[in-house]
Amino acid sequence: MEEATQAFVFFWVAGLFVVMGAMLAFFSKVNWQRRLGGALFGLGVLSLMLTPWTLSFSPSSAFGHLLGSLIGPAVLLAVGLYQIAFSGHVPVGRLSRTDRNIGVAMVVVGVLWLEAMHWWVLTPTYPAEVNRYWYIFWPTMLLGVLVCSSATYAIVGLVGEQRQQEQRLMLVSASLAIILMLLGSLFDGPNVDHERFATELLFASADIFGVMVGAAVAVLLFAVVLAFYESQQPVPKRLDPPNQDQLEKASHIIAQHVGGEGEDE
Amino acid sequence: MSEGSPLSSLTRLGAFAVLPAGAVLILVGLVSIESTDGTLIRFANALLTSFTFVSFILLLTLFVYGDARKRPIAPLLGMFMSVLLGVGMTVFFLSQGELLMEDNGSVRAQALSNLIRLATTVLGMGMAVMVVAGTLFASLMNTPPRAIQFEEE
Repeated sequence: MEEATQAFVFFWVAGLFVVMGAMLAFFSKVNWQRRLGGALFGLGVLSLMLTPWTLSFSPSSAFGHLLGSLIGPAVLLAVGLYQIAFSGHVPVGRLSRTDRNIGVAMVVVGVLWLEAMHWWVLTPTYPAEVNRYWYIFWPTMLLGVLVCSSATYAIVGLVGEQRQQEQRLMLVSASLAIILMLLGSLFDGPNVDHERFATELLFASADIFGVMVGAAVAVLLFAVVLAFYESQQPVPKRLDPPNQDQLEKASHIIAQHVGGEGEDE
Repeated sequence: MSEGSPLSSLTRLGAFAVLPAGAVLILVGLVSIESTDGTLIRFANALLTSFTFVSFILLLTLFVYGDARKRPIAPLLGMFMSVLLGVGMTVFFLSQGELLMEDNGSVRAQALSNLIRLATTVLGMGMAVMVVAGTLFASLMNTPPRAIQFEEE
């Protein structure tokens, strides 16, 4: 198979599988279609993660390498947070105290693992230098944690009552993100120097802002298209007003139910 | 629940979301960044790629919308035009020499690189949302249920 065809099949078709699979799994109301969506999503992600082997000649395979590098901490964080949440005050299927402790340990290891990817030797390296998508991912995630935490802090203050504990937690995670960004911009890691990190942080903010503006414009256009289409539709037929017979029948039925006779209140 | 008009609540929310990140970026910019070259190019590329990609996703969601609307063609055509507009603008601007090109040799390579960068940004934001939402949810579920305090008659 030619290299271009290989890249098309193992990377771009796989990427399309991920998008289409996620859409089917989320939006379809038919059970088999949802299962098919899940399978397509899994197959696509697997194919992307295998690109360091299937498309070793292509620079795009660095993305697959990043996905593979992140699967460990992502699973630890997701399962750990699930264990902690469902060992709390849930009415059904409550997990045990041991599960909660395991969950806490998994979250701590997941966070440390991510930190070790910047501050220790676990930095994703592909093929012989730091994975270029890691430079995009890590600052984006830190900025994302800061933005989401501070926004959630405000939301909890606006809609919650006596939620100081949650606000404190959001403050802690926002502060942690700020500290990590400042430390990364001031001190070199074993594989990432501080100037490169600071520049990538600025680029990550440009990426996030650009993505948000682009998405907002697309959504606005979508709303305009739908509003225009709906405004072109004929007005639904209005029913005639009820005639005397229908009014009498309705008043009879109403009188039967609201008369107060024969009912013990 | 806190009292206040929706506009002031929205302003407060926006300020909380943007100001801390803005302050950190300014601080980092003052301390460690020597040159901001390329930031606008990154912004423009992210904007065009995101517009095209989100239009494509919304085009797909119209199939769900069609279930409740006798499968209309007009909105599909509208969003298809939107996707074409995004692709057309991307190709046009990338073809203007150095305007939006980075370290890639061709328009196609730059467009594909933009798409992978968008995926990486989405991945980073997704992980951030997972961590924050998971932490909040875990905290909410572990808060002891509160007894309702009735006033004494």
